[in-house]
Amino acid sequence: MFLPFLWLILASLQSEREIMLRPMVFIPEVPQWRNYLVLFKKYPLDRYYFNSFLVSSSVTGIVLLTSSLAGYSLAKLNFPARELIFKGILATMMFPIFLFLIPVYYLLKRAPLMGGNDIWGLGGVGFLYSYAALILPFIVNAWGVFLMRQFVIGIPNELLDAARIDGCSEFRIYRSLILPLTKPALATLGIFVFIQQWNSFLWPLIITTSAPKIMTLPVGLQLLRVAFTIAKNQGYLLAGLVVGVVPMVILFLTLQRHYVKGFVMTGLKG
Amino acid sequence: MVKKKVLRRKRRKNKQALIGYLFLSPVFLFYSIFLVFPIGFSLYLSFHRWNMLTPPLEARYVGIKHFTYLLMGNETFLIVLKNTLFYALGTVFIGMILALIVALAFSRTKYSSVWRFVYFAPVVTPPVAIGIIWPYLYRPTDGLINTVLRWFHLPGQQWLSSPAQALPSIIIVGIWAGLGFTMLIFIAGLKGIPEMYYDAARIDGANSWQGFWHITLPLLKPTILFVLVTGMITAWQVFDLVFMMASGGVDTGVVPFESVGVAALHMYQTAFRDMRMGRASAMAFILFLVVLAFTLIELRVLRRGGVESY
Repeated sequence: MFLPFLWLILASLQSEREIMLRPMVFIPEVPQWRNYLVLFKKYPLDRYYFNSFLVSSSVTGIVLLTSSLAGYSLAKLNFPARELIFKGILATMMFPIFLFLIPVYYLLKRAPLMGGNDIWGLGGVGFLYSYAALILPFIVNAWGVFLMRQFVIGIPNELLDAARIDGCSEFRIYRSLILPLTKPALATLGIFVFIQQWNSFLWPLIITTSAPKIMTLPVGLQLLRVAFTIAKNQGYLLAGLVVGVVPMVILFLTLQRHYVKGFVMTGLKG
Repeated sequence: MVKKKVLRRKRRKNKQALIGYLFLSPVFLFYSIFLVFPIGFSLYLSFHRWNMLTPPLEARYVGIKHFTYLLMGNETFLIVLKNTLFYALGTVFIGMILALIVALAFSRTKYSSVWRFVYFAPVVTPPVAIGIIWPYLYRPTDGLINTVLRWFHLPGQQWLSSPAQALPSIIIVGIWAGLGFTMLIFIAGLKGIPEMYYDAARIDGANSWQGFWHITLPLLKPTILFVLVTGMITAWQVFDLVFMMASGGVDTGVVPFESVGVAALHMYQTAFRDMRMGRASAMAFILFLVVLAFTLIELRVLRRGGVESY
């Protein structure tokens, strides 16, 4: 199960010659840390990291907000068509993302008064080539709404009624009661969404292929693969992969307490 | 007096309704821009011929020509659908069974962080990276997998270099990548089954196999349904993995598109390489209908079940 990672780390430290040896040698004679240095000099990996981090955390933050608001509303507030709306939001998960790729790309391009566009959205590039293009299409997550709603349902109504009697506005209830009480679910959701955004490939590929300044890590890694073939020292490629993969895995390892606990707590019944 | 009370209650209810909608307004706004419009636009595109260069309103109307072409004219799309079906069934069902086995095993033994890490590492790794690493492992001459096979005196395989084995090889990777996640869901589901059911069964003389078949499985139905439905939806749209592992690359060998082409990959090429937006949109809608059909079948088959309904 773990072999691929082990192989990756070991192989990334091999020298050019060792990699070509047959049969394959697994443990390098002398760890070639040099691979990493050269890699950093040649490729703006730090830029990719920064971009990925910026996009992922922005999306995560906004999704937490929209999901908890919607989740609370769908769980505790009463209004007509509430259940229908909830089921509708769930149903949105069923559409293949492909249906959205072209239209959203077009929308971003023709955004009025952005990126050089006039009021009709013509002339410039709109939101394309900006971070907004990577962030905006993801600020609402049906999965997040589902998770939050399930969790908020578990909050006793008496608590909310008591607050209402005391004269709290709904928004106050949301801010001072719901948010603190749903911390575990928020943590779980946050980690989920962050990882999902970090690993996202297709959309960033479409947007950032012609916009290297905002390129994210997965797309950058793919570029590496194109540049370094086995003939030209794949040690660099593998070092790049280690840099791209290991931090996330370590991050998960340190946060797994929250992740796993939250998952089990929300319960996945029905 | 009573009228005043009724009025006040109604006003409070209306106020709550207003707040309810208000809190949902970001979601509504988002979906109208990023969901309703795109689907409508895609639908429009699927009946026209468009290559992104001309304004879309001037695109040429072609009726259902795209659909007839995809389903009857050229067999590429059908082959692609078949491949994707194969991939979806393979990863979802085999993955589910394996995840269930592992989850059951973990419910008996101590669930240490090490194991959690081992099983979850692939889930948090970008599929891009996975798609670069595994072709190396799969190298027929000196990849890690064939090397290990030969240690056990088993013949090395062609893996990604063979048209017949390429897709199964990718399926294996797909299962490997998703196992931890599915396993976690099953563990959560298993935890929801009260221990007393098993105790009662044991008192009545049932063995573990019967316990599993008559208690665990039925009560796990909602979880299984969830795993199946979400698994199917994501599997049918697989892209990253196949793109990295099959698009030429270093040592993957030259395999014809027909043996590994999956739906998303084909759509990507049609839209962004061949610039045929209309046809790609038509493909996406057909795919949507297929996924919908599967989902409805799954919902039907696994309707009853779960801890609550017993």
